[in-house]
Amino acid sequence: MANFILRNAEPKDVSDILRLIKELAKFEEMEEQVVLTEKELLEDGFGDHPFYHCVVAEVPREKQSEEGYTVVGFAMYYFTYDPWIGKLLYLEDFYVMKEFRGYGIGSEILKLLSERAVKTRCSSMHFIVAEWNKPSIEFYKRRGASDLSLEEGWRLFEINKQSLLKMSAK
Amino acid sequence: MAHYKLRKAEPEDVTDILRLIKELAKIVEKEDQVMLTEKDLLEDGFGEHPFYHCIVAEVPAEQQKVEGYSVIGFAMYYFTYDPWIGKLLYLEDFFVMKEYRCLGIGSEILKNLSVTALKSGCNSMHFIVAQSNEASINFYKRRGALDLSLAEGWRLFRIDKQCLLNLSAEE
Repeated sequence: MANFILRNAEPKDVSDILRLIKELAKFEEMEEQVVLTEKELLEDGFGDHPFYHCVVAEVPREKQSEEGYTVVGFAMYYFTYDPWIGKLLYLEDFYVMKEFRGYGIGSEILKLLSERAVKTRCSSMHFIVAEWNKPSIEFYKRRGASDLSLEEGWRLFEINKQSLLKMSAK
Repeated sequence: MAHYKLRKAEPEDVTDILRLIKELAKIVEKEDQVMLTEKDLLEDGFGEHPFYHCIVAEVPAEQQKVEGYSVIGFAMYYFTYDPWIGKLLYLEDFFVMKEYRCLGIGSEILKNLSVTALKSGCNSMHFIVAQSNEASINFYKRRGALDLSLAEGWRLFRIDKQCLLNLSAEE
């Protein structure tokens, strides 16, 4: 069984965080859409006002991945606000390297985030999942997640930078 | 034409903010699901670490159409993070009282938020809309909004408090 620890990400982890973000994007065939840099991750996550938080899963050196990595999983989250019930924990990205699956790392990460959500008095945890991602949907449903898009008809919209520029110039 | 101004919400505005949150919830017949109190809004929005930001639309006393209220619209937003592109502005709630619609207040609010988003280095604005809310969907589409749920298949999920408690207690 794999030994691993979960800990809060530190500034030195930004290369591994970016690597794992890209690995997850690759799985969704969107790797070229990752334009974030290590510098931005550093400023945005470890400055005066962090825009995100990260926990990482780390294995000891002797258990490192084929390519020599010891940081083998991560979850990126932040706090959002529901005008009916207040603070929520929003799970943005969540990934464990393929060769380290099946050891309960994902479950431990979710358990840690659940504890954190309860400790910070959040009413719920929210996240989005692509409708084709059946394994993830099952993983979350087994832990009590409900599909609000199905139940309540919510759809996610985006106004991109181009349109923001247009509106602000009007 | 109505005179109004948009400004950042202040601690004194929490009563009006809660009133408008409830008015918006009433439209979807969910007023009884609003659990938040003025005290929560005060602590969460105006403490050391704000969990949300608000702008409000205010009319002068002589323009009040509904007795006693000068704050007649609001938008609640916060900053989120996309691991591919970085900072985003997330529009959480957005409402103008019925009596003050079609005066361009909604458009001005959205413009104000666009300026805020760009100034803060955000790459996009995100928000959710109920698929039954065609009027809002069209309002946003006219301003360039793209339905990511339709285009990319995203579905919003929730793990509620009871399940969080169960998960955190698991051996």
